[in-house]
Amino acid sequence: MNSLKEYFRKGDPYVLLSSLGLILSLVMVVFFVGIILVKGLSIFWPSDVELVQLKDGTKYLGELWSSEENKITNPDHSINVVPKVQYKTGNRDIYGFDFKWIDKSEIVSISNPADATVFERKEYGNFYGFIKKVAFKGKEYTKNNELFDKATEALDYSENLVEKQADLMKSGNPDAEDKIEKLNAEISSIQILIESADGSLNTFSLSKFVGFYQPNQMNLFEKSIHYLLNIWTFISGEPRESNTEGGVFPAIFGTVMMVILMSVLVVPFGVLAAVYLNEYAKQGLLTRIIRLSVNNLAGVPSIVYGIFGLGFFIYMIGGSIDTFFFSEKLPEPTYGTGGILWASLTLALLTLPVVVVATEEGILAVPKANKEGALALGATKWQMIRKIVLPNAAPGILTGLILAISRGAGEVAPLMITGVVKLAPAMPLDTIFPFFHPDRKFMHLGFHIYDVGFQSPNVEAAVPMVYSTALLLIIIVVFLNLLAIFLRNKMRKKYKSASF
Amino acid sequence: MNNPENIKHKKRVTRNNKIASYVISAGGFGIILSIAAILLFLVYKSYPLSSDANLEKISTASSGKNKVILMGMDRFQEINYSLSENGEISFSSNSSRKVFSVKNIDLEENERIIFADKGSLRNETFALITNLNRIITAEIKMTAKYQNDKRQIVPSLEIIEEFKADSSGFSIKNFIFTFNENSDRIYSWTDSGNNLNLRIFGFDDEEIFQHNLSGFMNSDEIKSCAVNHSGEILICGTKTGELFWFDISDFEEPELIDNWKAGESEITAMEFLLGDNSLVTGDGKGFVSVWFPVRNSEGVQKFNRIHKFKKHQRSVERIFVSSRNRTFMTIDAGGEIILNYSTTCHTSLKFRQSQKKVVSASFSPKSDAILVTDEENSTGIYTLDDKHPEVSFKTLFNKVWYEGYPEPDFVWQSSGGSDEFEPKMSLIPLIFGTLKGTFYAMIFSVPLAILAAIYVSQFAPKKFALIVKPTVEIMAALPSVVIGFLAGLYFSPLFEKNLMFLFFFTAILPVFFLFAIISWKYIPEEKKVKLPGGSEMLYVIPFAVMAFIAASFLSIPIENTFFGGNINQWFYEVLDTKYDQRNSLVVGFALGFAVIPIIFTISEDALSNVPKSLTSAALALGASRWQTVKRIVIPAAAGGIFSAIMLGLGRAIGETMIVLMATGNTPILEMNPFNGFRAMSATIAVEIPEAPVDGSLYRVLFLTALLLFVFTFIINSLAAVIGDKLRKKYARF
Repeated sequence: MNSLKEYFRKGDPYVLLSSLGLILSLVMVVFFVGIILVKGLSIFWPSDVELVQLKDGTKYLGELWSSEENKITNPDHSINVVPKVQYKTGNRDIYGFDFKWIDKSEIVSISNPADATVFERKEYGNFYGFIKKVAFKGKEYTKNNELFDKATEALDYSENLVEKQADLMKSGNPDAEDKIEKLNAEISSIQILIESADGSLNTFSLSKFVGFYQPNQMNLFEKSIHYLLNIWTFISGEPRESNTEGGVFPAIFGTVMMVILMSVLVVPFGVLAAVYLNEYAKQGLLTRIIRLSVNNLAGVPSIVYGIFGLGFFIYMIGGSIDTFFFSEKLPEPTYGTGGILWASLTLALLTLPVVVVATEEGILAVPKANKEGALALGATKWQMIRKIVLPNAAPGILTGLILAISRGAGEVAPLMITGVVKLAPAMPLDTIFPFFHPDRKFMHLGFHIYDVGFQSPNVEAAVPMVYSTALLLIIIVVFLNLLAIFLRNKMRKKYKSASF
Repeated sequence: MNNPENIKHKKRVTRNNKIASYVISAGGFGIILSIAAILLFLVYKSYPLSSDANLEKISTASSGKNKVILMGMDRFQEINYSLSENGEISFSSNSSRKVFSVKNIDLEENERIIFADKGSLRNETFALITNLNRIITAEIKMTAKYQNDKRQIVPSLEIIEEFKADSSGFSIKNFIFTFNENSDRIYSWTDSGNNLNLRIFGFDDEEIFQHNLSGFMNSDEIKSCAVNHSGEILICGTKTGELFWFDISDFEEPELIDNWKAGESEITAMEFLLGDNSLVTGDGKGFVSVWFPVRNSEGVQKFNRIHKFKKHQRSVERIFVSSRNRTFMTIDAGGEIILNYSTTCHTSLKFRQSQKKVVSASFSPKSDAILVTDEENSTGIYTLDDKHPEVSFKTLFNKVWYEGYPEPDFVWQSSGGSDEFEPKMSLIPLIFGTLKGTFYAMIFSVPLAILAAIYVSQFAPKKFALIVKPTVEIMAALPSVVIGFLAGLYFSPLFEKNLMFLFFFTAILPVFFLFAIISWKYIPEEKKVKLPGGSEMLYVIPFAVMAFIAASFLSIPIENTFFGGNINQWFYEVLDTKYDQRNSLVVGFALGFAVIPIIFTISEDALSNVPKSLTSAALALGASRWQTVKRIVIPAAAGGIFSAIMLGLGRAIGETMIVLMATGNTPILEMNPFNGFRAMSATIAVEIPEAPVDGSLYRVLFLTALLLFVFTFIINSLAAVIGDKLRKKYARF
C-alpha cells in the first residue's frame, strides 16, 4: 500500500492523466475533421442504385442512405430490435417524399438493375427510374441498347436550343419573338419517358433535367470522373431549389469580394497603428492603453461588432447617405440597409487586432541595427520606415492579412445582420456601370451553411450540401492558416539569422 | 551643396516626414477611437431606455360654454374634437385651436347629454345617454386626405343607433359602452334604483338582449362598472368596495363568476387595459390597483390584485387607457392626473392642468398626446413623450408579474402576434443562458486543454509537439459556424441515440484508466527510464480503446436491463427530466471544442516558456518529472494558464453561431444539462433584424450587446492584469 502512495506521490499517474487529456483532445479533433471529410466528400460519389422489393409487392428504387436499429419496448417489457434502412428514393413530385425508411424484415429482394438511371432535375430533386422512350428531332427511340446514348444526345440538343433561346431573348429583337416561340415548341417536344420503380410511366421535357447517369453500369474510373465533375459543378455552379442543390459559386464569389474589400480597409489601418505603436509612440501609458484596446478589440464578441455595424454603419451612416444622396428613392433604402460595404467595414473592425498584432511582430523582427544605420545615414524617420521597416516587416503584414482573411471568411454572426442574404439576386460586381455595387447584398459560404442547414424547408435533403460547403470553407480556412504559419516561421528564421 | 534643387528636395522630404508622422499617429489613435466608438455607441443606443416620460404643454384654449363630455384626436395629432352636453361636436385644429367644423347630434329641447363612453380602442365609436334616458350611438371618423402632397383631415359623423333606455323613472347614474371587434354593441347602465341594466346588440344575428343583473348582487350601491374590449366580461364595483365579475359572453345568459372584496373604500372608477386582461380600479381613498385573473391552486381563475400604484390625494374619478400600450391615466376629484404603466408598476408622471376638476380627458390614438378639459372648459393639449414605458431596470433584471402568469417571473418573450401583446423583456434568462452554456463548455474544455498542454510541453517528444501545436492552432481558426452546424445536425442526434453509451463510456473510462495506472507501476523503473518520450501516451491508448469497445458492447444490454431499453424515456419517467435533442451537453461539447484550442495554445506557450534552468535544477535535486511540473513549471506558468482560461471564457461567452445552432434557443432558467437555453449573443443575432429601429426591443438588444461587451472587457482586462501579476510573482527567475 505504501508503495502505491509513493507511486502517486512521484506522480507518474498524473503524467498518464495528462496524456489521456491529450488523447481525448486529439481524438475529438480527428473525429470532427473526419466526419466533415467523409460526409463532405462522399456526397459527390455516384453510389449504386438499388431496386428493393417489399413483401407487400411495393418496389422502391434509390440509393442506400443510412441504417439504424429501432428499439421497441413491448408491454411486457421485453425489447424488440427492428433494423431499418433508409433509401433516397427521390421522385418527390410523385411520392411526396425524398427518403423512405424500410423495415429490413419487409424486404424480399434487393437488386442492382444495370439500366437504373439517376436523373438530376432542376426542380423537385433527383428522379430514379428507367428510360423507356426518348423523343427528339421528330423521332422516337425505344430500343433498350440505344436509349441512354440517345437520351444524352437529346439532352445536349435541348441545352443547345435553350442557349440559343436565351441569346435571342438577350438581343431584344422584336422579330425574334417568333423564333423564340418556335424554339419553345421544339424544346418542349424533346421528351423522355421514364418508368419509376412502382411501374408508373412519367413523361418529362428534357429541358427540366440537369443530367443523368447509370451508376450501376459505371466502373471505378468512370465513377471517379463523374465524382470530379460533380465537385466541379459544386464549386462553379449556381444554387438550385432554395440552395439545397447545385453549386455554391455565388457564395464563394460573395465571400471573396467581401474579404477583398475588408482587406483593403483593414490592412492600411492596422499597419499604421502597428507602426505608430513601435516607431512613433513613446512607450508608456499611451501605448499601454492602445495595447489594451487592441487586446479588448480582439476579445469583443463578434455579434457585438455586428450590432454596432448595423446601428452605426447601416442605420446612422447609411441612413444619412440615403437622405442626402438617394432621397428620391426613399423610403426604399439604398445604403440604409445591409450591404457588402457595411459588412466589410464591420469585419474590418473585427479583424483589426489580428492585423495589428501580426504587423507588430513583423516590425519587431526588423533588426535595430538596420534602422539605426538608416537614420545614421541621414534618412528621415519616414524614409527609414518606408525603406527599412515596412519591406522587412512585409511577411508580418502578410501574415496579418492572411489571418484576417481566414477570420473574415469564417465569421457569420456579424454578417448575418449586416448584409448577407440566402440568395442574392445580383452579384456585387458585374458588367453594369459602375461595375462594383457596394450597396448590394451578397452571399457568403459560412452563412450558406447556417441557412441551408437550419432554415431550409427540407433539411434532410439539404444536409449533404451543408457538409460539402463546410468542407470547402474548412479547406479555405486551413489553407490560409497554413500559409500564415509558413510565412511566420520563415520570418522568425530570418529574424534569428539577422540578430547578432 | 545648397543649390535650389537640393533645398527643394530637402523641403519635400521634411514635409513628407511630417505628413507621415501625422497619418501614422492618427492610425494609432484610431485604435483607441474604434473601441471607444463601439462602447459609446452601445451606450448611446441603450441609454434612452432609462429615460422617463415627458409631458409638454402645447396650448390651452377655451372650448365654449357647454360642459364637455367626450374628446378625441386624430392619429396625426392635427385636429381634435369635443362633444358638449348640448350635442354639439366641434372640430378644431390643434395648432391654431380654431374651430373649423361643427356637427350636431340632434337633441330635444331641455335634453342634455349626461354620460358618454368610447366603445373601442381602435376607432372613435361612442355612445351617449341623455337626461331623457335616450341612448345614441355614433362614430366619428377623421380621415386623412392628400392634396398636392398636403394632408388634410376631414371629419365626419355617423349615427349608428338610437333607442330609449327604459328605467321606469329612475335617473341614470353610470353608463358604459363597448363596441367589440365583432361589431357587437354592449351597453350597461345603473340607475338610482340600483338596477344594473345590460343591453347587448349581437351583430351576427342582429338580435337585442336585455338583462337586469341586480338580482345577482347584494343591495350595495353600484358605483362603477367596466366591460372589457371584447365584450365578454362585465365587472361592477360597489360602495363597500366589493367587485362582481360577470361573464357576459353568452348574450342570452350572463352569469356571475365571482365576487370579492377589493378594499374598504368604494370603487369609484375602473377600466380594462389594452390586451383585455388587466383591470384598473380606483377607489374613494385614491388608491389605484391593477387586477388580472390568475389560476389559483385549485385551478380556478380568480382576479388577483397584481400592482398597487401611487395613491391619489382625493378619490379617483376617471380612468383613461392608452390604445398603444399598458399606459393609463387616473384622474382624481382634485384634478390631479397620474400616468402609470401597468407592467412595470411605474408611475411615469403626475400633473394637473389647473386647480379645477377635470371633466374629460383622452389619449391620442398613438398615445403620443393627451387632451384634458377642466370644469371651466379650458382644454389643454399635451404631447406625451414616453418611448420605452415597458422597459425599466425592474423589468430587465427583476421578476415581473405578467398577464396570464401564475406568479412574478423572469421571462423573455419580446414579441407576440398582435399589438395587444405584452412584451416581456427580462435579461435574466438570457444572461443565465449565456452563463449556463459557458459553464458546461468550461468544465469540459479546461481540464482537457490544460492536461493536453502539460503533456505536450513537458512530456511529449519535441517532434510530436511540433506537429500537434500548429494543428491545434489551426483548430482555433475553424469557423464556429462549422462547429455549430456539426453540433446541431450531427452530434445532437448522435448523442440522443447513444446517450447510454456516452454515460457508460464516461463511467468506464476512469476504471480502465485506473488499470493503466496500476499496471504502469509494475513496469520496472530502469526500463521506464529507457523508454522513448511519449510512450505514456502510447501506453494509455489501448486502455482508452478497450474502454470504448467495452462501452459499445455493454451499453445496449445495460440499457435494456436497467433502463427499460431507452434511457431517455427512463429519465423522463423516473427523474422527470425531458431529454431535448439540442441540449446543453451538446453545446458544452461543441463550445468546449471551440475553446480548447485557445486554452491549449496559450497555456502550452506559457508552460514551454518556463526556463529550462528551473526544471533542470529541480530534476537535479531528485524531484520526479511530475513533481517538477507540479512544483516548478505550473506555478511559473500560472499567469499564462490563467490568461488562457480567461480568454477561453471570453470566447465562450460571446460565441454566437454555436449556441444559435446547437440549442433550442428556449429562454428557460434551469441548470439541467438535458435542456437548452437562449444565450444573449444568439438572441441579438436572431431578433435584431426584426426589431423596429430605435424601438424598445432594439434598444434592449443594444443593452444586451453592451453587457456582453462589458463582460468580455472585464474578463480580458482581468486576464491581462492578473496574468501579468502572476507572471511577475512566479517568473522572477
